[in-house]
Amino acid sequence: MLKSIIYKEWIKIRLIILISLGLSLLALINIFLKVRHDILFVDAANYWYSFLFRGSAYFGILKFLPFAIGLAVAIAQYIPETVNKRIKLTFHLPVSENGILIWMHAFGAAVLLILFLIVMGLFTAGSAIFFPSNMINPSLVTVTPWFLGGMATYFLVALILLEPVWIFRGLYTIVAAGFVAIFYTGAAIEAFRPVLPLLILITLLLSFVVLFSGYRFRKGEM
Amino acid sequence: MIKVSRYILVLTAVLVASIALPAFYWTVFEKVPRSPQIYYSCITQDFVIADGSRRTDPSGKEFTSDEYERVLPFLYFRQLMADGEMPDSINGIKMEAPSISRASSFYRYTPRKLNSPVPTLYPMLESQSGKVNLAMPDDYFRIEKRMEFIVAKTNRINEEKSVLFTNALIDEDFVFPAKIIAGLPTTRKSVDEGYFVTDSEGSLFHIKMIKGEPYVVRIETDEKLDIVYIEAVDLRSREFYCYVFTRNQGIFVVMDEVYDLQRLPVDGFNPDIHVFRINADLFNKCITVLGENWYQAIAVDDMYNVVGTHSEEWEGLYERPEGKAFASIFPFEVRLKDDNSAFINFFFRPSPGFRWLTVNLVALIIAIVLIRRRGWPLMANIPDLLIVGVTGIYGLAATQFFPNKFTVRKQPNNK
Repeated sequence: MLKSIIYKEWIKIRLIILISLGLSLLALINIFLKVRHDILFVDAANYWYSFLFRGSAYFGILKFLPFAIGLAVAIAQYIPETVNKRIKLTFHLPVSENGILIWMHAFGAAVLLILFLIVMGLFTAGSAIFFPSNMINPSLVTVTPWFLGGMATYFLVALILLEPVWIFRGLYTIVAAGFVAIFYTGAAIEAFRPVLPLLILITLLLSFVVLFSGYRFRKGEM
Repeated sequence: MIKVSRYILVLTAVLVASIALPAFYWTVFEKVPRSPQIYYSCITQDFVIADGSRRTDPSGKEFTSDEYERVLPFLYFRQLMADGEMPDSINGIKMEAPSISRASSFYRYTPRKLNSPVPTLYPMLESQSGKVNLAMPDDYFRIEKRMEFIVAKTNRINEEKSVLFTNALIDEDFVFPAKIIAGLPTTRKSVDEGYFVTDSEGSLFHIKMIKGEPYVVRIETDEKLDIVYIEAVDLRSREFYCYVFTRNQGIFVVMDEVYDLQRLPVDGFNPDIHVFRINADLFNKCITVLGENWYQAIAVDDMYNVVGTHSEEWEGLYERPEGKAFASIFPFEVRLKDDNSAFINFFFRPSPGFRWLTVNLVALIIAIVLIRRRGWPLMANIPDLLIVGVTGIYGLAATQFFPNKFTVRKQPNNK
């Protein structure tokens, strides 16, 4: 049963995941080709200087990619369920209603997390060719909130989509927009260092809030 | 589990509301805070306060624009020379443009400089290349387990140079790693003086490179200093190398060549919240320490003896009408950015006083009325009411956004 559910979820999101992976790879290739080009043409010492003392980040185009991916995966996974309230069929399976939603959501979150970890891993590996750890660490501290924001977007969009009452969808969207905006606040390289543990904690807590609107959906809240 | 997920959402909404609503309030109502500039006049031997377009002496007597320029001849000497108003000599010293500009300097410290991300790689310039122009090196150094130079082009360590500098530091009993590295990593300065570095025990060192060789000096201090921030300056007068800010022991300058630490006559300076300004001219240095709603100005002569002090205090943010109104509506606010920090954080600022209790009480009553009208049991809503009672309108909004509808169950629609 579980296997079938996971397979069903995979069918829903596989295209989006592959497109996301492709786009991320393109973004990474773009970043490092540009770094290589600039180091050849501008001179490496100068390039390091603008990162260290002028705060120019070489990875800016990564910023909203995780947000877009989180949004797309949540839509791909939950819109089909809300059309004609199809998810109600799932809830009739001989598995606990909560349990099934948790499995669906955990699978989506795990796939998203693995995708993000692959992208961050490749980003770190690429950076290590050109830069020492003293530049990679601040870079990772800078991109981590963007990827966390992608996870938070996934969790909150799932919440919004499963909510049965339109007015509450609107209200949730206000809160979600306000919260996700925190991750994308414009700031200097490494500026998120002190707040990162708290953001990770809140994002972890948000991972199962989909249960709230799932419950309302099941109970036919109107 | 589902109830817990609702409280997570409610608390997230409280957080978002306590960031967004106050931010909106301040954009609409906040007024520009006072930030007066204080100078010390060698003509009147007294302070001059420039606050917006008002220029006054400490007693409050206003200067006209011409008078203002005349009492600050070093600040406006080009204007005064053009008008033929510049005195030939002041206090028996002949006035010459080069000496005036050599002695003039301005420096400003803000807590934001202390609380911001700092790089851990710096370029070590050659300080005696024999060339007129300074040049950027092709490597950067870090001081961690040892001092290492990394060549930017290859991203590899220059082993030979690293060993050379590490040994020079060990010879001066440097304890790795470095805590603060401060210098002027630019070629746009008159000379290169390398870096001022504190080791892991807090001792102060001067490190530079002369003809490819390391030059390391351990700077002795009378007492152990808790140094939190150092800023190197490029003074044309070559009077001192850098400003040294300590946690509780005041502010120092490190004198050029001799490495004596000169303490500035400033007491009670807190580098986390206070702004420090210094305006130097041929005769005096005017130091200003600014808090949120006060300043203290201290003028010293060229031997750092105090020749005058002046201070002023005005209404703080929460004493002004817009601040008072804020503290009556909102119990607290959370800011992502703070004036005193370049970091992003949840800066929690409780509102002073207890006037917000009224609004919280009203919010609580509204919450109770809403619960009763919907016919929900009060007991099941105790945590909600607690949240509203503590967080006021943030909590009221948050609990309404995510309705606590677990207790009443509608009959399923059988279409």
